[in-house]
Parts: sequence; structure tokens; C-alpha cells
Amino acid sequence: MKILIVEDEVVLNKSMVAYLGDMGYVCESVNNYNAALEKIDHYTYDCIVLDIMLPGGTGLQLLKYLKDDRKTDGVIIISAKDQLEDKLTGLQLGADDYLTKPFHLSELSMRIEAIIRRRNFNGQSVINAGNISVDITAKTVSANDSPIELTQKEFQLLLYLLINKNRILSKNAIAQYLWGDDMDFAENYDFIYTHIKNLRRKIVAAGGDDCIRSVYGMGYKLQAQ
Amino acid sequence: MKLLSKYNRINIGITIIVFLLGSVCFYFVLRYILVNQLDETLQSERQEILQYVKAHQQLPDIENTREQWISFEQSEVQPAKAFMQSHYAFNQHKHEEEEVRQYIFSLQVAGNNYTVTVNKSQEETEDLLQIIILVTIAMIALILLANFIINRKVLGRLWNPFYTTIAHIKDYHLSGKPSLTLDKVSTDEFLLLNESLNEMALRINKDYDSLKRFTENAAHEMQTPLAVIRSKIELMLQTSELKQIQMQHLQEIEDATSKLAKLHQSLLMLTKLENNQFILNEQVDLKKIIEEKIAEKQDLFEAKKLKLTITLEETKVSFHQHLAEIMASNLLNNALRYTAAEGSVTITLTDSHFIICNTAANGSLDTGKVFQRFYKPGNKQEGTGLGLAIVKEICLTAGFSIEYVFANESHKFIVGFK
Repeated sequence: MKILIVEDEVVLNKSMVAYLGDMGYVCESVNNYNAALEKIDHYTYDCIVLDIMLPGGTGLQLLKYLKDDRKTDGVIIISAKDQLEDKLTGLQLGADDYLTKPFHLSELSMRIEAIIRRRNFNGQSVINAGNISVDITAKTVSANDSPIELTQKEFQLLLYLLINKNRILSKNAIAQYLWGDDMDFAENYDFIYTHIKNLRRKIVAAGGDDCIRSVYGMGYKLQAQ
Repeated sequence: MKLLSKYNRINIGITIIVFLLGSVCFYFVLRYILVNQLDETLQSERQEILQYVKAHQQLPDIENTREQWISFEQSEVQPAKAFMQSHYAFNQHKHEEEEVRQYIFSLQVAGNNYTVTVNKSQEETEDLLQIIILVTIAMIALILLANFIINRKVLGRLWNPFYTTIAHIKDYHLSGKPSLTLDKVSTDEFLLLNESLNEMALRINKDYDSLKRFTENAAHEMQTPLAVIRSKIELMLQTSELKQIQMQHLQEIEDATSKLAKLHQSLLMLTKLENNQFILNEQVDLKKIIEEKIAEKQDLFEAKKLKLTITLEETKVSFHQHLAEIMASNLLNNALRYTAAEGSVTITLTDSHFIICNTAANGSLDTGKVFQRFYKPGNKQEGTGLGLAIVKEICLTAGFSIEYVFANESHKFIVGFK
């Protein structure tokens, strides 16, 4: 899976490359408009991570170029401009998703995964970890073929852990993912613990591997090969 | 009072005074001229009498008329100097008192002294006075009438461009795309006004745009470093040799970063609201939005064992989708945060009100401060302290009313749509 990261802030660019690279994506990165244009012209990517404000041009121009050229690359816009118009314009121009800075890398990887999955029509919608398998389209979970009944939040949580498997996710990142920006974090940490506890109980009861680990009580990760 | 009426009041007042003064002067001047003429006639009468006496050495026999009568009186004393005077006397021909002009002079006929009084009626001058008063009143009435007609017909049309300009200014919004463009008019003053307003609007628009750009850029510049911090924390979390204490520090840094990011977003939102950068012209289904927001937070309500009572009526208002979401979300978060465990929350939506009522943990909030920025009762550290300030600003923008009431040990926030 090839990803192009277009972001002018070098440190942030490197962070994204490091995180996504660890997850098995092949990442290329550029930090200005012209370099991005050159890459887009020569190669095809599964997903392009696009910042709006760039030296030499804007991400929206790049997006327009891509769509005018009938390229099929998936595009996720990341922008600090929390401007509704930008978001709408971006999505109208054909972007697949829009993420506002500052975002969690785990959230970004989640969105990229979703874009790639949506774009690959032959792609499987089932993700496996150990003996647990999650069907994203049907929203069902099973362990050793015996189904596990999960609430919506539990399902979201499992998917988040699964896609970022072997990575430690902070409670903060999980809270933001589950309840969005407008909730305060410290208050939600207890609820996260409750959800994780229930999730583990249900998985184990269905005969699945107990693969969710708490890390010093600060965060969680799903351990799997 | 309208400028026009003010101007008219002064104008008419002065006109009337000028007319009255003019009439008085006119009267005196005319009277003076007429009396002078009378005096000349009286003089020539005297000449005639003197000539007659010189020629015949006897008094003339004179026929008195309505307008003129002469009397001779024998007097012992030495004749006084001749003089003229006006005074009221009885006119025997008309049988009434009237003002007469008299010429009194002495005469010697055959050694006898006579005092001669020539009287001439001065009635014409009185007639004159009457005519002048009539003319003056008629003129004043005419002026008032003319003014009235001018105001009604002409001035209304003359001021028309002014009212058009005012209407344009009233409709003018800074956040609206085109700058103010007032029409060219033929009246110099209004043309000047329109041109000045156009220039002013252009200048304000420029300033506003640069301010807006600044806010946007500031947002961009600040949120990128925040994104860097957050990404680095996440990468650090993945390194296997972290100790618990380091993890804890990282978590605290991340919490602070999130808070900063949220604070920044909230302030930006407040700025945008204050700058009226939202255009509220969408029909928003409030019931749907509130239901969605409640569903999002369902598990949080459950975790706190809060008893939810929800009554939602189908309600659509002219609003802004995003702002409606923020308003509902902030009020719900508020109820979530400040309701003690196992308390109850009542959410009511009717076509005129949106009411969130929750049982209070620690008595009433400060009614005067509850919507102030950074107001946190009891110095609680959670939250940005901007949630309710944003709700208030949203309501202000949308023209809704917002009210906080404390009753029956419950906080009640009431948003009124009408």
C-alpha cells in the first residue's frame, strides 16, 4: 500500500511517515506544491495525505488537478484551517475525508485504512487478529467462528485497536475517537476502562484470545501477529 | 424631529417675523407720505385764504365738505406761530369721531386777530392700515400653504436618495461578499454622502478581510505545532523502553495539548461568531440534531447512571447546522459534567423552546457570571470554561434568547427561538 504525504511542516511530515511506515505502508513524502505535483504526475498512490496550505500552491489546487486528470488516488485532507467552507470545498472537489489538525496519528491511520478499503472493491472487509475476526461492512465480530455481540461503541473501540494493532493508544486518543472533540478527556477515562473491560469479557467468553493489554493504565494496545 | 420640520419651523418663524416687521415699517412709511401730502394741501389752502384776505380785506366764505372744513375764531391774543397737528375730532358731516389733520394759523383782518383752523380728514390712512394688515395675513397664510405643498410634494422626492442610502446601509453586512455600492445620484450632497460611505465600506471591508486572514493564519500557525506535539507524543508512546512514570508524564502532556487545542478552537469559534462569519439561512431540524447528540453521549449518561427524560417535538428553525450541533452538544456536555451521579436530566424541545434541566450538585450558579468566559464554578479544572459562552454567542447570533434559572435544586437552561 503506497501513501503520499504532502505536508510542509517537516517534523509533522516525518512523524506521519514513521507511524504509517511502522504500520506497513510504503510512504513517500514531499513538502511543497511542485514536488507534490511531480509525484502525482508520475506515480499512483492508494492514498494521498494532503495539507491545504503549502508553499507554492494549495492542497485544493492539487486535489482539483488530480480529479481533472481522472486519477483514482484516495485523498484525505489534513488542515489546520477549521473552516467549514474549506471542508465543504474539499469534499466537493472529491476528497474522501477531512481531518483537522491537531489529529492523532492513530486516527489518521484509521481514516486511511477506511479510504483504502472503500476504494478496493475486491478488498476484503474482514480483518483478523489472532482468532478474532471483524467484518467491517457487516459490523460483526466473531472469535473462532462463534459470534460476539458488541455495542456500537465497543465495536468502534475494537476496530480502532485492531487497525492500530501492536500500537499503544493513549486514553486521550481513544476518548477523542469515541466521543469526538467536544468532550473533555479526563472525565472519560473511567468510561474507557469500563468499555475495555466489557470488550475483553465478551471476547474471552466467546473463546477468543485475550489480546487487549493495558499499558501501565495509561493506554491500551491490541497485541497480535 | 425631522430635519425638514426643524428647518421649516425656523424658516416659517423668521418669515412671519420679517413680514410683521415689514408691514409695520410699510405702514409708517406710507402714513408719513400721506400725511405729507395732506400737509401740502393744507399749505396751499392757507395760501389761498391769505391771498383772498389780502385782496378783499375780509374773511372768505368757505363751503365745508366731508373731507375738509375750516373754522375762524376771533381771538384777543397775539397770534401764535402756525403749526400742524393730528388729532381726533368730530366730523359733523359724517357724525363720527375720526382722526383729522389740522393746520392752525393766525390771520389779521381789518385789525382783528383770527385763529384759522383748517381740518382735513385723515381717514384714508386708517383704511391703509386695514389693507396692510389684511395683505400681511394673506401673505403669511400663502407662505404656510406653499411650504406645506413643497414639503408634501417636492421635498419628499428630494430626500428620496437619502432614505435609499439609509436602507442600503441597514441591509449591509460586513461578512456579505460584495462591498457597499451606493448609486450615483444627482444631488451633490447625497452624492458626496454615497461616495464617502462607499469608500468607508471599502476600507472597513479591507480591514475586516485582513483581520479575518490574520485569524485564519494564526489558527494555522498555532495548530500545526500542536499537531507536531501530538504526533511526537504518539510516536514516543510506541517506544518499548518507557517506564511508567514517563508514560504518566506523556499522558499529562497529551491531556494539556488536547486542552490547548480545544481552547484554541473555542476562542476561534467565539471570534468567528463575534465577527458574524456565519450565515444563518438553513432550515435546521433540531429534533434530529439533539437526538444524534444524545445518542453520541448515551454511554456517558449511562455510566454516570443519570436518569434521562426526553421530550422532543418536531422543530425546524432557520439556523446553521454546525452551530446547532455545537449548541446542543455544549449544553448536553454541561449537564453531563455538572450533574451528580444518579441525578436526573430533563431535555425538552418544543417549537418555541429548548430546555435542559439537571439536578444540581452544589446549589445555584452565579446567574450573572454563568455565561462569562472562563467561568468555572468551584474552580473545577475540567472543561475550557468557554462552552456556555459559546452557546450564548450562538444564541445572540441566531437571535434566540438564552436564560439560566435555578429552581427546585435544578439548573435550567432555556433557549427561546421566538
